[in-house]
Parts: sequence; C-alpha cells; structure tokens
Amino acid sequence: MMADSPESVLAIAREVVGAMSPSWLQRLQGRIDERVARVPTRLNEYGFDDQGLAPDFVRQNMLPIALLYEYYFRVRTVNIERVPRGRVLLVANHAGQLPFDAMMLSSAMLLEGEPPRIARGMAEYWVSELPFVSVAAGRGGTLVGTPLNCASMLEAGECVMVFPEGVRGMNKLYEDRYKLMRFGSGFMRLALETNTPIVPVSIIGSEEQQPGLANLSGLARLFGMPALPLTPTFPLLGPLGLLPLPVKYHLYFGEPLSFEGDASEDDADIEERVDRVRAAIEEGFERGLAERSGIFS
Amino acid sequence: MLTSSDANVGKVLITGVVGPLGRLLAERLSLTMDVCGVDTRRWKGSHPDIRLHRVDLRKRQFEDLLRTERPDAVVHMGFVRHFDRGDRVRHDVNVRGTKQLLDHCVKYGVRKVVVFSSSAVYGAFPENPYGMDEDCPISASRSYPEIRDQVEVDALASAFLWQHQEIETVVLRPVNALGPEMGSMMSSYLKLPGVPTVMGFDPVVQFIGQADLLDALEIAVAQPLSGVFNVVGAGQVPIHTAIQAIGARAWPIPGPLFNAVCRQLFALKLWHYPSGAVDYLRYPVCLSGSRFEEATGFRPKVSLSEMFDSIRHPAR
Repeated sequence: MMADSPESVLAIAREVVGAMSPSWLQRLQGRIDERVARVPTRLNEYGFDDQGLAPDFVRQNMLPIALLYEYYFRVRTVNIERVPRGRVLLVANHAGQLPFDAMMLSSAMLLEGEPPRIARGMAEYWVSELPFVSVAAGRGGTLVGTPLNCASMLEAGECVMVFPEGVRGMNKLYEDRYKLMRFGSGFMRLALETNTPIVPVSIIGSEEQQPGLANLSGLARLFGMPALPLTPTFPLLGPLGLLPLPVKYHLYFGEPLSFEGDASEDDADIEERVDRVRAAIEEGFERGLAERSGIFS
Repeated sequence: MLTSSDANVGKVLITGVVGPLGRLLAERLSLTMDVCGVDTRRWKGSHPDIRLHRVDLRKRQFEDLLRTERPDAVVHMGFVRHFDRGDRVRHDVNVRGTKQLLDHCVKYGVRKVVVFSSSAVYGAFPENPYGMDEDCPISASRSYPEIRDQVEVDALASAFLWQHQEIETVVLRPVNALGPEMGSMMSSYLKLPGVPTVMGFDPVVQFIGQADLLDALEIAVAQPLSGVFNVVGAGQVPIHTAIQAIGARAWPIPGPLFNAVCRQLFALKLWHYPSGAVDYLRYPVCLSGSRFEEATGFRPKVSLSEMFDSIRHPAR
C-alpha cells in the first residue's frame, strides 16, 4: 500500500489500531457508527452543516467519550424517551468544574435517544478562542451561546442543551451540591419565541465528581481565567488533579413542558415560568438521590 | 439575466471599472444599458461599447464627468483595497472619494446608487453567531484597524440611504467571491502556492461564485430596490476543507507566531495582509442572505464545488 500523504498514513494507522483492538471496543465503535448514521442532519456536499457540524468527525472521535460514558461514569438514563422529536430544549443542572455533564448528556442523546440526536451545546465566548478545542467543539455541533445561534438551531429543528446556571453552577462548592444556583432567563424567552418544548433534565453524579472547596475568583481574574476552583486534588496534583471521581451518573428526563406567551413579557412573568423548570429539575434530584445507594453506585 | 424591460436604468456609470469585477460587470450591463466607466488605471483591450474615463474620483474632472454623462445609476466600486500605497491614500480615496461621489449624485440627479461594500466590515470575532443579519454592528475596526476606512464607507453609504430617500441606494455586503478572475482578499489568499492557516483553528467561511456576484450586482442596479443587503452564495465550509478542495496545501502556523510574522512582513511591505486579517482565519463571519433573496428573488446558482474547481491549483 502506498502512503503519499499524512491523511492516508493516519487512515492506515486507524485501520491497524482498529484491527488490533478488542472486539468489545470494535462493537462500541460499531454502535457509534450506526447511531451517527441515523442522526437527522442537513449536510452540504462536503459533509458539514451551515454551522460547521461534521457527523463524520463525531463518528471518528466519539470513542473516548463513549468509553467514559459506558465504563467510567456508567451513565444510567431514566425516561429518555420523553425527549420529543424535532426542536427541543434540554435544560439541566451544571456542576463539577469541567463540563463532563454536558458531554454525558449529549452522549446519552446520541447513544440512547430515539432517533439518535447530536445535541447542540451553547458554549461561553472564550471557548472559540481556544486552539483545537474550538474546532472540536464546532465539528461536534457546539456553538457560541448567543440568542441568535440558539434561535436558529431551534428553528432548524435541533435539540439544544442549556445550563442556565452557567459558570455559577459549574464552580459551585461541594456544600451547595444539588442546590440550583440562579438561573438565567434567556432560555425561557427563546423557548417562547420559537415555541419550543422544554425537557428538564436532572443530572445526578456530576455534583460530586470534583468537590469544590473554594473558588479563588480574585486570583482567577488576575490570570484571566473564568474560574480557579480549589478541590481536594486541584491544583495540588496539577492537571492530573482535574480528573473527576468515577461517580455514577444518573440522568432523569422530566415530562416535556410547553409554555405559552410572549418573549417580551416582564421579567416577573418570565421568572415565574423559569421557576417551574427549576422545580421540575429539583423534583428529579429528590427522586434520583432517594433511588441511589451511594455516589459510586 | 434580466431583460431590458425590467430595467428603469438607461445609463450607468461604474467607478473602479478596470478592476476584474468592474470589467465583468461593465460587459454584462452593456448588453442592456449604456455603460461608462471611471478609473485611474488603464484598461488594456477595452470594450468598444464602454466609454472609459481616466479620472480620479477626488478631482474636479470627476464632477464634470457626472455633469456631462448624467447617468441614471452609479455603481461605486472604486476603492483601494490593497495596502501597498499606505494608510493615508487608501483612507482618502475610499472615504473622501465616497463622500464626494454621493454629494455629486444628489447634485446631478442620479436615481440609483449601488455601493459595493463587503462582509468583512462586520469583523471576525469569537462571539460571532452564524447567520448574522444586516442589523449586526459593523465592528471590524475593533480588531482590524487597517480596514476602518472600509467600515466608514459602509456607514457613510448607509446614512446616505436614510438622508436621501429620493435616491434608491443599495449597499451590498457580499461574502468572499471566488472565481478565476476574482481578486478578492480571500480569493488571492487561496491562490497562494502554500496557504498559511492558524494552527488549531478552522472557521467556517462563506463563498459566492463570480457569476452569482455579477447577478446580484445586476439585480441591484436594474431592479427597484433600496437598502443594506448581505449577499451570500451557495454555501460555506471550514477553511481547511476549502483549501483541500482547491488542491492546495495548508501550512498551519501557531497563532501568536502568525500574527507576529504578519506584522513584521507587512511593515516591511513583503506581505499583503496586515495582522488584523489573521482573525478571519480564526473566527467565522457567516451571514444570512435572506433579506436580499426575499427582496429580489436572487438565488445563488454556482455550487461550492464549482467555485473550488474554478480556482483549482494545477495538480502537483
């Protein structure tokens, strides 16, 4: 076989590794291939959608995340069939210092949703400034979290994940686990504007994966970082300390909520609807925490 | 192509007519209209049906020309878009030139003004959403001060649109034009023998085929139309995919190094692109063209693969 370009060398390497890998790994990759092929998308002649999503990229790079999903966090989903086809907003709690919760929720939609979906994430602005990360995010379907991006995704019938707690949730302290931080209300206005059903998702597990003892926000600002969490292992063990605990994830999908009204209503009227979504997520917490026997099982 | 019965324009004047797009537009419009062109450059083998006047937009002779030619419509694409002659000349020709041209149009009864702006005026930023419409702020000067004159021209023309509602004014902001004759920044960048890119970035870039851009310009001149419009072609792909599709090789360079080298070489006049231009290789500027399509019925016809084939590098 002739190898005349780096791409073909890489392809050969992929094949060799593929042939050598154990059969359970091949089966997992086979499952990813089958699921990605069934994702409803609108692609151009080069295999991208208008926002740069490339299902082929997802297919080729999903395996490590699927391994985390199956064997590290051992994700269990409850009532995922409640997610309707077509446009939908998944609204979930956010925790754990690093966005493994977003990764596991989107993996669940791909590996267990029917039809399989590539859930679109809404990222912070600075994610687009990170080399390599920005490309991986874009090819995987994540967009900068602006109202326009979110609205056009919903209008195109996509499944969009939002975490209205934002970084407030991501860096919450261990003592605040399973307490929802303040919710932004942007998602509710967008849901009203685009007439989109909301599925509340309660994520159990992420809140203990990386216990936050303190958030050194002053120091973080000094280094131009979004946050500087202090955990039992970080920054003590360096980058290795960012490895999350192998907690067991449980994803509880609530009943779809449909809201009627006008996106330009007063804050108070919007807040009232936001609170109903919060209450639904808290209900999931109660059930999930009662049903599990410990954070690792 | 539009028939002459659609057109209420009998005579059109094109500034910057000797540029590649200007020539093609002049030839296209000369089939249905009386066309004259203005440029300071020579037009080798010029077209018999097109009168070329070699005058400077900023000079008295240009006003005389409008007085004698009395065009119904003016297409303004006489801009300096390279950086070789320095900031001052560029700014003066583009901004003062446009201001004077617009004033003359009022004075000499021009009924239609088409100003050829660019999608670059929005600026390339990490927070850019996809499908930006014409109401998004034109902020390119924030990170790319070298083209602030281009942003000012767009703002001047948009203000003129509201100040002089008796004149139909169209401001076009087309995305990157691709075609064998196109000399747009993106087009000449892609034609480089090795194409430098920013390592770890692969923004989605929008393209429009040469023929579609000419159609859009013709529509803007001939149809009753006023307003600011994005003009979007048949599609968009990540920049590395485009480079691969035209048979070129990308050279990824770490971002900070790329910017530093760009700054130095540009200062030494060894390189045509200022460092602010590098952000267009990092972040997307992806527009919605629906306002123009709904107002005019314009539909792009040249597919991405046809565009890429038209500027394909010779096989290595």
